Amino acid sequence: MNVTVEKKFAVDVVYNGVSKSLQVNPEERVTALLQRAIALFGVTQNAHLLSLFREDGTVVDESQSVEQAGLRPGQELLLRPNVVRGGFERLKVAGDVLPATFKVLRDCGRSECECAVYWTGPSHDGAVDNVEHPVHTRSAIGYEVENGWLTDFWKRLAAAKRSVKAQIHTHPGEAFHSASDDRWPIVSQAGFISIVLPHFAIGRTSLENAWVGVMLRDGHWKRLASASEVLVMS
Amino acid sequence: MNGSEELARTVLLCRDYVADDVADDEICERLQSQRILCISDIRNLSSHAGQTALVTLVSLLSRMGMQVELDIPDIDLVLPQPPLVGSSLPNALMGGSEAFVRGATINACTDASPDVIFALGDSPLKGYRAPCWRLAGDEWSGRIASHGVGLPRSWAFEFPMGSMASAALAATEAFKVMLRGLRLRGKWVHEFVQPSRSAGWDFGSREALGMEFDLGAIDFISAGAISQAALYILDRIPRIHMRGRIFDNDTTALSNLNRNMLSLQEDVGCAKVEIVARRCGQVVLEPIAARYGNGNPECELLAPRVVVGVDDVPSRWEVQRRGPMWLVVGGTSHFNVSSSAHRLGEPCSGCLHPVDEPGPDVIPTVSFVSFWAGLATVMRLLQEAAGKPYSQGRQHLWLSPLRMDLPKAAIWSPVPARKDCPVRCFASRSLMDIDPIAA
Repeated sequence: MNVTVEKKFAVDVVYNGVSKSLQVNPEERVTALLQRAIALFGVTQNAHLLSLFREDGTVVDESQSVEQAGLRPGQELLLRPNVVRGGFERLKVAGDVLPATFKVLRDCGRSECECAVYWTGPSHDGAVDNVEHPVHTRSAIGYEVENGWLTDFWKRLAAAKRSVKAQIHTHPGEAFHSASDDRWPIVSQAGFISIVLPHFAIGRTSLENAWVGVMLRDGHWKRLASASEVLVMS
Repeated sequence: MNGSEELARTVLLCRDYVADDVADDEICERLQSQRILCISDIRNLSSHAGQTALVTLVSLLSRMGMQVELDIPDIDLVLPQPPLVGSSLPNALMGGSEAFVRGATINACTDASPDVIFALGDSPLKGYRAPCWRLAGDEWSGRIASHGVGLPRSWAFEFPMGSMASAALAATEAFKVMLRGLRLRGKWVHEFVQPSRSAGWDFGSREALGMEFDLGAIDFISAGAISQAALYILDRIPRIHMRGRIFDNDTTALSNLNRNMLSLQEDVGCAKVEIVARRCGQVVLEPIAARYGNGNPECELLAPRVVVGVDDVPSRWEVQRRGPMWLVVGGTSHFNVSSSAHRLGEPCSGCLHPVDEPGPDVIPTVSFVSFWAGLATVMRLLQEAAGKPYSQGRQHLWLSPLRMDLPKAAIWSPVPARKDCPVRCFASRSLMDIDPIAA
């Protein structure tokens, strides 16, 4: 006689004070359990930051199975972000940076070629106080920064204890982040800001029609509703 | 009616539960159209705790853009209630009309049909009709209950921790009433925003702490929402002794006024540290208008106790690396509060927050959530100063203020040491096969 052993069991997931039961399978990956918990509570905002925590404060390892993680029937798991902030400090852009940026992009691009600049500032804070115009090739559909210039640029930044805060480049038509923009930012680090200006930066000196995005921890880019989410223009 | 810039972050937080096709303007208008009536008789306003409950509630409501009407007697302030000024309680409160958020008025009652009523203690309702909660509690615990539930006592206490907790509980209910009037993402949202018949909070404190506190020297890292909430609370505690420094290089923006409890419209553009130092009365603070760290020599030697409400996670690590004797960290995430304390040698804030997510997303915030973070921070400070700190099993608190009526609204836990602690604290090094002292 074959006996089928029911291996599924329930855990209790707590989110925003509300507790719900979730059936789990011991072979199930914790990452799948996490996704089901997120769906169970209808979380739509910053779901990628959420993890499951045990009562002893330890995080449930998402690379393991439910069984490997030692989850037990009836165990209580807290669904919460693994990063909690007091607030976000936006980049403070000095008053002359935006006009200087537009001037370089217009002068170099001459309404017919793409161009790029980098905003830099002291490494230890969120200030932007300089515009760097790289040596680059250019065309109506792209640009490529010269390797030698880039190497020298990194050395200069390191010596001066400065860093690149954002990259800004132009497009011939509308502003968007192309596949190559996604793949080849000058800084591949979560939080890095990329700005694309439409129509070779002709028109008003404003970021109103710009594409402004930020790199997420998983390497994807997220478009922001407004530049003011990440920048304070002084 | 203006005020959309002040309410931008609150509107953003509403997005967690409001349907995508509802415009930001509609959410903002809904916030600003809420009419809240606050009622009290003279008996409930004769104590500092009662007055603090009312002032805190009105401030939290007004910072959400709501219209507040007062049916209260004329009575003098027992103690100062910064940032409000004046000697009479009604005048001080009405002086706050549109001082927090443009368009958020505070007036004497002229409207017989409010959306929500809050009554202090056992004050009579006088025939008003609307959903009503009563604010009750004692020195160390706050409670709200729908009218007719339980038998509330009058506020006859001086010590105000419980009264401020009851104000935060009440403000949450007003927010949920507002949310329920909008089109929500789905039926599942209702369990997060349904009204509380009754709710309470006692800070998980089981020991008497006394009524007089000498906190000694304290450094505050950041003059943002959580530090301002903590200092708003500390400055209202009678007979508290404290001196300290506060570090921040930022200036007040309109978008801060939805939660920065010591800031007013007139402060926009001013250094946050100057505002906070000026508004605090009995709490003496030296403002240091500089970002913490930054090669600033004043950062080299920290006070024995440090309050961290600083923006980014690496800055928390930097403070922790300097090895203060005791550190309290407050943070918020959407509708949740994180509060933890770290004594030298215990698992540190790097063990609790080991990952930095330097996302530049504007953080969604609302007045009462930031205020809860301040309350949790101050309670840890008071327990520490009284020599009765929370046990290690309560080193971290995860609080969900929307549903304080549920048993899982507060989740206490220890902070486990992590081998990959970015601070490389003593506790984390103890997990490795190396000498933690030499390492």
